[in-house]
Amino acid sequence: MTDPATPPANAAEPDPKRSERPHPLTPLIRGWVVLLALLIGFGREVLSWFTDNREPPPLLLLLGILGGVVVAAIAVGLLSWLTTQFVIDSEELRIETGILARKSQRIAFDKVTSIDVLQPLAARVFVLAELQIDIGSADRVKLRYLSRARAYALRDYLLSRAHGHRAEITETGAPALQLTDLSKADQVVVRLTPRRLVIGAITSNEFVGLLLTMIVTITLVAIFSSYLGGTLALIALAISAVSGIGGFIGRRITGQFNFTLSTRPAGLRISRGLTSLTSQSLPPRRIQLVRLSQSFLWRRLGWYRVEIDVLGVGLRNDEDTRSAISSVLLPVADAQQLRTVLTLLWPESDYASIELHPAPFRTRWLHPTSGPFLAFGYDQQLVVSRHGWLERRWDLVPHARVQSVRIWQGPFSRRLSLANLAFHTAGNHLSARALGLDADQISSRQAELIELAQAHRPDITSARSAVPDNATQAGPEALRADQAEATISSIE
Amino acid sequence: MDALFLPDGEWQRLPAVAVIAHRVNSLLLNLVFWTAAAFGTWLLTRESSWTAMATWAVAGLGVVWTLWRVIRAGRWVRSFGFREGERDLLITQGLWTKSLTAIPYGRMLSVEVTALPTTRIWGLAGVELITASSGSNAHIPSLTAPEAARLRDQLILLGEAQALPT
Repeated sequence: MTDPATPPANAAEPDPKRSERPHPLTPLIRGWVVLLALLIGFGREVLSWFTDNREPPPLLLLLGILGGVVVAAIAVGLLSWLTTQFVIDSEELRIETGILARKSQRIAFDKVTSIDVLQPLAARVFVLAELQIDIGSADRVKLRYLSRARAYALRDYLLSRAHGHRAEITETGAPALQLTDLSKADQVVVRLTPRRLVIGAITSNEFVGLLLTMIVTITLVAIFSSYLGGTLALIALAISAVSGIGGFIGRRITGQFNFTLSTRPAGLRISRGLTSLTSQSLPPRRIQLVRLSQSFLWRRLGWYRVEIDVLGVGLRNDEDTRSAISSVLLPVADAQQLRTVLTLLWPESDYASIELHPAPFRTRWLHPTSGPFLAFGYDQQLVVSRHGWLERRWDLVPHARVQSVRIWQGPFSRRLSLANLAFHTAGNHLSARALGLDADQISSRQAELIELAQAHRPDITSARSAVPDNATQAGPEALRADQAEATISSIE
Repeated sequence: MDALFLPDGEWQRLPAVAVIAHRVNSLLLNLVFWTAAAFGTWLLTRESSWTAMATWAVAGLGVVWTLWRVIRAGRWVRSFGFREGERDLLITQGLWTKSLTAIPYGRMLSVEVTALPTTRIWGLAGVELITASSGSNAHIPSLTAPEAARLRDQLILLGEAQALPT
């Protein structure tokens, strides 16, 4: 039985058949998580007693329940810690769990599709981390909690095994306080300052919308306050409004704190977060679509938000989620940063140089708000579709990623002799469409787009790619795999 | 039909029996649904005085809707066409919202032929091109079984010929 927190000297060459346990502090941390959840739940209840003027139950009883639950949680945690063992060595990856029903899971190294290292706050305090292994099935294999150095070492080892390399587990001492998760091979491309994040959050459409709704509500309540319970209601509303706004900014800041985009041999890498550090790596080859969006107030600032759609990863779109994998490549970027990052992704294309053809004037009958901004264009590498009203969006799709192209036309479009184009990619979160095109030209456009999609040009990320991507040099096999579903590892 | 959704070339249509098959399927489906709806209405309103009226209203609506769907089903099948182009498979469909989908052969991952019990009694089978995208929806619903097999083999051949160079 080794204690992973203080690995023995020969940790680099672990005994082939020695099994490990998670860190001994694990049950305590799990108990702590339960306690926190209970406190938050109880807190709400307690608040409602005061507001409803109800008689609170005796304090002793409450504490007793609380203590009992926490002790039970720790006991269960202890049992599950005692029964959890794992073996990660050069031959196998095997995990044994279960208190009553024993479960032994052996995972083939090459079936590992992605590995996440998550650090929730409670674990972070004790320099621990959770390792999640995605093998493409519905539930992920979780190892919690390991010492952080061990978690990173295992992640690197499993990743290189998943890529088919022979490797050894090497542990490097992790610094005590880690705000970014960068190794020596990483080159920082973009790092967002807290100031940029705050201004970006305040000027975003979501925030302005939130603010406007609150102002309208408060004004309405103020006008009719005599009917609605007087000033007390107004104060309560104001408090909840302020806390809502504060919460919004707080979530953005903690989620995106120290947002760093860097390049490393395997691709791009994002590291972010204040309370829990999330890092995620993205091979550019798997990016299907890039969407730039610009909130109303960002037009003046010249800022953009960059979202991506990636093949085969369950992405979440919310910027706030602290420990989930997000599809946001850059939460707030200025034009210069945007250009740098897009050049990294697709060195052979330049979206800004693509000539966009605005939609014909009659499109405004169908799309009165977005009509003036609708435009569509393409060159040898990229398709660009521009749309949106308060939030302007640019959808960029490389021809190499287009799976099929559809023209469609509803009865009203037919009257106006307009038609729309849809581009299907292997991503399934964002979809690229070009609306309100002239029906007379669209047919030849589709034929041309299909020709471009079909052309056997080298992959858009390959050749002179600024991001060295070993897989791209692997030839047609890799290119084909790129169109299929299964490629290895996208998140770390 | 509009030239936009039917560019020049050799378009193939679904067989005549597909029209009947889709009409019958639509009829049966609607009958089951509307019978259940009418029965449900009767069950819910049987306590009140206007139960007969409500039930008949639902049944009448059902008859009109079913007739409409049955007519549309036939017309939808007739509107459907596909063309094996040089580089891509073109599929055209739709009555009110028309669409023309082009799928390059090189993007094809596999071809699926499916025969459901409801189509098999008519001797029909559907062919679907699977691409990496779920949005492509390249599905040709009702072909005669030998034609479906021929199309599958043909598409596989074309796909292999146009796949990325080895």
